[in-house]
Amino acid sequence: MSFWFWNGITRGIQSTRYPAAPETAPGVSPGRPVATMFASAEEAARAAANCPVGAITARDREAVIDLGTCIHCQRCRFGNPSTVHWGNDFEWTRWPAAKKTLEPLPAAFTRSLHIMVVDAGDCGACLHEIKQLNNPFYNIHRLGMFFTATPRTADVLLVVGPVSENMREPLLKTYDAMPQPKRVVAVGACAISGGVFGRTFASAGGVGMVLPVDLEIPGNPPPPLAILHGLLVVTGRKEVLTKGETSLI
Amino acid sequence: MTSAPPSHSPLDVEGLTVLLEERFRAGLSVSKESPGLVIRVLNLSLLPVVSRVLFWEAGGSFGGLIVEERLREWRLQYLFLLQNIGWVDVVVRAPLDQKTIPSIVAEVHAADWYEREAEDLFDIDFESHPRLGDFILHDETWQEHIAPMRKAFDANAHNFERKPNEKWRPKLVVKDPGSFAMPVGPVYEGGLGEPIHFLLETVGEDVIREVPRLFYNYRAVEKIAEGKGVSEVLLLAERFSAKSAFAHSLAFCQAIENAAGGKVPSRARRLRVVLAELERLRHHAGAIQGICQSTALSVSEAHAAIIEEQLLRASAAFTGHRYLFGLNAPGGLRRDFEETACRDLLRAIDSADSQLRTLEERLRYSSSFLDRLEDVGAITPENARDLDLVGPVGRASGVSRDLRKACPYATYSEYQFDAPCEQEGDGYARLRVLFAEARESARLVHQAVNSLEPGDSSIPVEAPASTVGFGWTEAPIGAAMHGVRLDSEGSVERYRILTPSFRNWLGFHVAVEDFAFQDFPIILATFGLSATECDR
Amino acid sequence: MTALAGGALLVFFIVCAIALVLSTLVSDLAAIILIGWQGGICSILLMLAGAARLTAGADFYQPLWTIHGVGQLTLRLDALSAVFLFAAGLVYLSCCLFAPGRMMHSRNRYPAKRYAVLHFALMISVVLILTAGDALTFLISWECMSIVTYLLVNHGQERQADPYAGYIMLAMSEAGFLAVVIAFLIVAGGASGLSFSALRESAAHLSSQAEWGVFILAFFGFGVKCGLVPVNFWLPRCYTASPAVFVPVLAGVTLNLGFYGILRMNGDLVPLHGIGPGLFALILGSVTALVGILYATTETDLKTMLAHSSIENAGIIVAGIGAFVAFRSSAIAVPAAIALTAALYHAVNHSLYKTLLFEGAGEIESAVGTRDMDQMGGLIRALPGLSVVFLAGCLAIAAAPPFNGFVSEWLTLQTFLRSALLPSALVKVIFALCGAILALTAALAVTCFVRTYAMSFLGIRRGDWHFSVTGLSRRARASMILLAAACLLLGILPTFAIGVLDRAVEPLAGASATTVLVPPFFTATESNGQLPAAFLQDFHNLGAQTGAPLLPGRGLVLLLRGSEQNPVVFAMSPSYGVAAIAIFLLVAYVVVGRLTRRRAAAGGEVWAGGIPRLLPEMTYTATGFSNPVRVVFQAIFRPNIVEDARETVAVHFRTAIHRKREEMHLVDRLFFHPIGAAFGGIARLLAGMHHGVLSGYVSYALVFLLVILFLYRLA
Repeated sequence: MSFWFWNGITRGIQSTRYPAAPETAPGVSPGRPVATMFASAEEAARAAANCPVGAITARDREAVIDLGTCIHCQRCRFGNPSTVHWGNDFEWTRWPAAKKTLEPLPAAFTRSLHIMVVDAGDCGACLHEIKQLNNPFYNIHRLGMFFTATPRTADVLLVVGPVSENMREPLLKTYDAMPQPKRVVAVGACAISGGVFGRTFASAGGVGMVLPVDLEIPGNPPPPLAILHGLLVVTGRKEVLTKGETSLI
Repeated sequence: MTSAPPSHSPLDVEGLTVLLEERFRAGLSVSKESPGLVIRVLNLSLLPVVSRVLFWEAGGSFGGLIVEERLREWRLQYLFLLQNIGWVDVVVRAPLDQKTIPSIVAEVHAADWYEREAEDLFDIDFESHPRLGDFILHDETWQEHIAPMRKAFDANAHNFERKPNEKWRPKLVVKDPGSFAMPVGPVYEGGLGEPIHFLLETVGEDVIREVPRLFYNYRAVEKIAEGKGVSEVLLLAERFSAKSAFAHSLAFCQAIENAAGGKVPSRARRLRVVLAELERLRHHAGAIQGICQSTALSVSEAHAAIIEEQLLRASAAFTGHRYLFGLNAPGGLRRDFEETACRDLLRAIDSADSQLRTLEERLRYSSSFLDRLEDVGAITPENARDLDLVGPVGRASGVSRDLRKACPYATYSEYQFDAPCEQEGDGYARLRVLFAEARESARLVHQAVNSLEPGDSSIPVEAPASTVGFGWTEAPIGAAMHGVRLDSEGSVERYRILTPSFRNWLGFHVAVEDFAFQDFPIILATFGLSATECDR
Repeated sequence: MTALAGGALLVFFIVCAIALVLSTLVSDLAAIILIGWQGGICSILLMLAGAARLTAGADFYQPLWTIHGVGQLTLRLDALSAVFLFAAGLVYLSCCLFAPGRMMHSRNRYPAKRYAVLHFALMISVVLILTAGDALTFLISWECMSIVTYLLVNHGQERQADPYAGYIMLAMSEAGFLAVVIAFLIVAGGASGLSFSALRESAAHLSSQAEWGVFILAFFGFGVKCGLVPVNFWLPRCYTASPAVFVPVLAGVTLNLGFYGILRMNGDLVPLHGIGPGLFALILGSVTALVGILYATTETDLKTMLAHSSIENAGIIVAGIGAFVAFRSSAIAVPAAIALTAALYHAVNHSLYKTLLFEGAGEIESAVGTRDMDQMGGLIRALPGLSVVFLAGCLAIAAAPPFNGFVSEWLTLQTFLRSALLPSALVKVIFALCGAILALTAALAVTCFVRTYAMSFLGIRRGDWHFSVTGLSRRARASMILLAAACLLLGILPTFAIGVLDRAVEPLAGASATTVLVPPFFTATESNGQLPAAFLQDFHNLGAQTGAPLLPGRGLVLLLRGSEQNPVVFAMSPSYGVAAIAIFLLVAYVVVGRLTRRRAAAGGEVWAGGIPRLLPEMTYTATGFSNPVRVVFQAIFRPNIVEDARETVAVHFRTAIHRKREEMHLVDRLFFHPIGAAFGGIARLLAGMHHGVLSGYVSYALVFLLVILFLYRLA
């Protein structure tokens, strides 16, 4: 007979102290490209040409990144002459381009948030990162956040994937089944802009095409801490650091 | 239907050629082309019989069906994998206006879903297939005869007028007064489960018949790849199913390399083994976590989750991405790795390996846990062979095929490892196979890292125009094959992905039927299949 | 009072006879009106007679004709008869309100005149049975009742489905009647006359074997009518095949005759001296109850399910009667009184709620067109009024407070707790086991009626039916509300009901149940054996005198005190419970309303995982709901599941799986099938004799002759 209780106790506490303390363990975030100043405009243009999805724009000598379009292929980082600089943070949540602000959920939800997730054509990475929020490292229960089984008791809808046509109706039904107040968060590059799948007959090209999105979490996939940061922004416990199309840092 | 063992000892190429020519005379022609044998069937009605010979009598495995719409004809390519011979393609050509092709489903049950997929996407009718329709393009959402994979259909028609069918009802199989069909999904488990709609037909306690409806995540990857360059399609190849991203991107790169005929530097090939096994180890840790979660043994679930997160972090520290995106390129890897990074990775893998061994020991002595898994969701070896299941699921039911051993790629032929196999086919057997494969993966990573020599990590390869390439890997879930046809400008004309989840979902209902409701999530977890990999 | 009772009874006979004659003469429509009005008046007269006798002290005795050489036919209305008479009257009142609406609707299919004649004939024979003062009247009216019941059962169109149901009922009734006649003969062997008083005297001198014989014969003879295992196999079939207008009467009135017969014979006429018969009745009652409820829980036809549930209730009542007889033969009078009170209370309750449920089932059937619960669902939206009344019936039969079923179940289970007073350890064990079986039965009854109500009224519509009636007729509504109100009243005011029932209980049991169950706390000033001074003092100190002027003299609490060794007190008051619930609900409504102010509630469709529509085939059916019960009790059901999987290509591809469940009822499997098979075997053996060869028959004659000669030689 295995003594699971003892095994659990002796394993120790693995949870990160974020958001109370910064988290810097290696591998927690894949990092992201940050705006880089090059020596010349040609180099900046070359850096912009490296990106297969057009997330890098050359503005004179500066290469500017649209994190919402970036698919983390790392082609701008390795093996080509004009590499961009890389940042190691994970607090990437931003408002959608159309909205400039977010009304966070009322104060009652600050420490009691129920989350509904819908996989609308996701490759599995974003969904898996969301599932990691329940593992002992991130453990969102300590922050008063829970995943619900039904949208009827949910406050926040996390949508991953570019919204495949077969999932359009179930996604809309899930949204309709949620009571007010509710917020929609698009998680991942596919959910924000369609990612590599784009807008075709089989995929809608992002959650914004189907539902009113309140918050976006860029990344492909965003690491669990980035998603956690997004949830903290939704409840008003954290602020958005990246604004609009350009990154601040 | 015969399920007799092969009536010939494993044939070699000459033996098979002789057998086929003897049997079918002028109906087909056999020729040796890369990567294996090609059998061109000239008389369409011979197709089912040839399939039976290859699958049952010669003991082959069915790899999949590739349908192409060429200029004036259909080209159907049925893949078989035979021991001692390798890949055997049965190629059938039919004029475009031919409306029906004989179905091989009566002989080879594993071809069931491939033909349904071809019917849905190409609008080809397979004669005497018992259940065509309502497969990828769900009947309540799409109208009939769209045939999106045909050349005439524009993938970017995002204003495409769908005509949903309001009156659609599922066809229920069980006709017992008092039977009903319990619906699960597509949004279930709070949305943390991949979108699949299950209909569990029952009279109360036991599931009598179970029908999964997949393809809620259908993004038409094969269609949107058409007309794109190799480097763009590589992005699609690794991003349609993240949990096996490296394996699929590797299969795609190998297909391009196969088409180009170039040789990949040995350092790159060894590093590919390291990364592929790292992915397998991490995937299996996640699958074990899923099984522990389904049986509600929370502490073991937490332990498995810790192992998986450690491996994800190790992947990110080693390669810069937690899921190993962006590493493969035709001709090798996009970047090289230093010695210290490899040593760090080895340390992380050893830690994960020893934690998994401890976890397995502890689970073996948890009788309440084993009660939920033993004899639950059993697939007999006969059924597994009949449906030609692959990967850990197949190996737990005695189908011992592993592409790393059957058709070695990268540098697998140089290393020592086992492909563990069990016979019971129940949930516990699948769990044991997962643990055993995780151990073998750790062993392989060690061997691969220790065998690294300095050298190029990649020699860029340009696939020549108008070529065909075929690549395969043993992804964590099973055998994955990618086929590419390049057009005259070097862009992709046809991209075919054959995934292991697509194959194994076919066998899922066999495991679930005649078990109670409460066992359903557990059986689902022990299969560890990915709906998004199947849906593409 | 006695005169009033007697007068009402005689007026009833006159009015009923007039109605009987009139219905032969008038048209169909008039016959229906006659049933409604005359029937109603007759029922009210019956209720009056019963009530009057129960408040008065003396029996009503009326000699009728003298038959030369046999005896005098008499009428005697004593308290036991009065209880059943009152219950019959109330049930008949409801049925007479209900029947005309039903018959008007289906006038073209049933010859209403014939029904009316038989209806009044049945009424007269039932009342004669209940008020018979001597064996001859009793037996003659019993036989009349059997035949008229058979004719009524075969009256309608339902018999097309099962033409033999009525015939089986008649055959079983006659077999039971035969047993009863023999029992009477045994008792009357040494009697001076046939009147009940004469029989009572002669029964005191019976030997113990004769007592056993009388008990078994009467028990099973009357048990046929009330549905005891194993003589009840006719009951589900017959109830299902009876017309919807008649089944309420069948379940509410004729079932009670069985109990009346058992009580009269084994409780009143023949005082049983051994504890054996009582235990036998107890065990058989418990087993009947369990078998009945098991089959009710897994049955999907509404009427058949209610029939099995009647078997269950009959089992509970007979178990109570068995406990009564056991206690009385051990000379422990007080528990005997409690047991008899419980049995009588349950009998009255059962006639009320079972009639209500059968009427409801009839309404559902006419509105929906099917009786299969698997096809129903969502009726609450279509038949809102009926759903409320039917809910009252379901709650009552599931023994949920504040309805009457709760009180009688409580009393029945309390009697089993009294078994500690019995002498022998074996008897105590038997009582404990039977108590456990009855507790299981009560739990299964809740499951059964939750399933019934939920699968018929709640959820979404599963079948393809259309509504043919837009709601209940006023009269049907009135009849069902009457019964529901009666259920509620009997549940809220048990203290009054027990006081009334005590009139019947005290003569039979030898102790007064009222003093034990509803002790006179408010009116007792000094202590007596029942109420020690200390107890009274505690009671007063607790402030229990508050409100005394408002409450009846004996209060509204049911109380059972343990013995000296075990001074535990069980107390229960549905009246206070209902008041408390009402107050809490009111307060909660006001408070929540204040706190939440005006909150807009948004409605939406059912969340079903994101599928386009929740289809009826995706919701639980009645069969699915009770499947766990079927699986757990598999040994009893022993179903044979015939599966026919149609394959098109191979095992992997199945287009249809047809499954059929074939079950043989437990009683058939254990008793009648082996007996039938044995007889069949014997018949087959004997059939070998009929070979058709002439010489063989001649040789039979020769052999027979030789045997006769040989025997003659020996003698």
